[in-house]
Amino acid sequence: MIRTLQFAKRNLIELSRDVLGYIFCIAFPILMLIVMSVVNDSIPKEAAMTTFRIDNLSGGILIFGQTFVMLFTAILVATDRSTSFLLRLFSSPMKSRDYTNGYILPMILISIIQAIVIVISSGVTAMISSVELKPEGLLLVILLSIPSAIMFLSIGLIFGSLLNEKSAPGVCSVIVSAGTFLGGVFFDAEGVGGPILKVCNSLPFLYCTRVARSTIQMDFRWETFGKSLLIVSLTAIAMVTLAIMTFRGRMKADQ
Amino acid sequence: MEKKEINEMKEINEMKEIKDMIVLENLSKRYGAKKAVDGINLTVKEGEMLSLLGVNGAGKSTTIKMLSCLTKPSGGSAKIDGHDVVKDRDHVKEIVGISTQETAIARNLTVEENLSFMAGIYLDPKTYDKKKRKERVEEILRDFKLEEVRRTKSGKLSGGWQRRLSIAMAMIGNPKVILLDEPTLGLDVLARRELWREIEKIKKNRTIILTTHYMEEAEALADKIAIMIEGKIVMAGSLEELEKKTGQKGLENVFVSVAEGE
Repeated sequence: MIRTLQFAKRNLIELSRDVLGYIFCIAFPILMLIVMSVVNDSIPKEAAMTTFRIDNLSGGILIFGQTFVMLFTAILVATDRSTSFLLRLFSSPMKSRDYTNGYILPMILISIIQAIVIVISSGVTAMISSVELKPEGLLLVILLSIPSAIMFLSIGLIFGSLLNEKSAPGVCSVIVSAGTFLGGVFFDAEGVGGPILKVCNSLPFLYCTRVARSTIQMDFRWETFGKSLLIVSLTAIAMVTLAIMTFRGRMKADQ
Repeated sequence: MEKKEINEMKEINEMKEIKDMIVLENLSKRYGAKKAVDGINLTVKEGEMLSLLGVNGAGKSTTIKMLSCLTKPSGGSAKIDGHDVVKDRDHVKEIVGISTQETAIARNLTVEENLSFMAGIYLDPKTYDKKKRKERVEEILRDFKLEEVRRTKSGKLSGGWQRRLSIAMAMIGNPKVILLDEPTLGLDVLARRELWREIEKIKKNRTIILTTHYMEEAEALADKIAIMIEGKIVMAGSLEELEKKTGQKGLENVFVSVAEGE
C-alpha cells in the first residue's frame, strides 16, 4: 500500500507542477462556464433555450472538465513510458497494482478538486444570474460525478499505455471533442433528436452529462438519473478493468 | 590437532571465502532470429566490481536488463545472491539497484523528492518508518554531495548531476548489487571524473556491474573486466590477466587484439 501511495504522491506532485494542467483542467472549464452564461443572457426568452442556463450548464461543464483529466492522465503515462522512468520502476519491488492505483488515485482527487471549483463557480454564477441552484444538488454532484471521472481517467490510462507522448494528446483531443459534442454539453441532444440522439445514446458521454445535470437539479427519476448513473457506473467499471489490463499488457511489452 | 578443531578451522576458512554474488550460466537472450546475448557464463564475487566492456550492440544493456528483471532470459540462468532472476524476481528486485542508460528520473520532482520517492519504494516500511526514511534520504544527499541542489527540479540539472542523482536513487535501498548501465555516457571529461569518484565511493562492500564502452573507465574502476563482442563474453579477468592472455599492454590494446581476433 505504501508503494501505491508513494507513486500516487509522485504523480500528484508531477501534475501539480504542470501549469497547463491548471489552465485546461480548471481555468478553461470556468472560462467556458462564464462565456456560456453570458451567451445564455443574450438568448431571447422567447427562444426557450435552456442548455446554457446555469442549472443545465454546470453539469455539462463538469463533464467537459473531466475530459481534460483524461487528456492529462494519458500525457503523464505516455511521458513516463517515453522517458524510461517507468522502465526503471519496473525493476523495483513495485507490483502492477501499485502502478495502476498510483495513476488512478491522484486523478480521482484532481477530478474532485475540479468538481469543487466548478460547483463553487456555478454557485457564484447562479447568484449573479438570479437562478436558483439547490446547494444539496451542488454538494451531491461532487460525489456522483466520481463514476464518470473514473471512466474518463481510465480512457486516459488506456491511451497513455498504448500511445507515445506525441500521439496521445492528439487522440485524446478527439475524445475531448467527441465527449463534449456527443455528451450534449453545449447543445440540446434530446431537442435535436433523430440520428444524432441515437449516436449520443449509444455512447456513454450523454449519460455522464445527464447524471451531473439531474443531480444538480435534484431530479432523481429513473429515466433521467437512475438509468444514466447505472450506465456510467458499469462503463466506468468496464473501462477501469480494460485500463488495468492494457497497462499490464503494455508493461510486459515494454520489458 | 583434534578432529573437532580441524572441522572448526575448515568452517572458519569457508566463512572467510568470498561468496559468488552473481552467477550467469549459459545466459542468452534472443529477439526473433537475433541473438542479443549468446550463452554467457560469468561469476562476480561479493564486493567485486565487474566492467562489461564492449561496443554498442554487444549485448551489455540486454545483460543488465536480464539481471534487473526487466527482460526474461531466453535460455540459461542468472542468479543473484543465490536467487534466480526469473523464479525469485521479487526477491532479486529487493536487493538490486539500477541506474539505467537513459537517466530515468522524475523530471518535475526536486532532487530530494526523487530520493524520498525511491526511499518509499525500496525501503521496507516495517524497518524504515517515515523518520528513518527521511534520515536515509539525508544520508544519501550528503554522500553524493547533492545537498546544494536538493530543491532543484531534477529536469533542470546538468547531465552530470542527473547521472549522479540516478546513481544515488539506485543506492537508496542499500542494495547488495548495483547495476550501472553506461553511467557516464555523454558526459564531459570533468563530469565523468567526478562521477568516477562517486562510483569509487559506493564500491565498498557492494557488488557492482558497470557497462561501458570507455576503455579508460573500465581500467580505472573495475576489479575485473569482461569483454563482450556480438553477445558473447570472449575474455574475462583482471586487467593483468587480460594483458597476460593477449600479450598486450593496456586495455585498449587488449580490446583491439581480442576484437580483431574474433
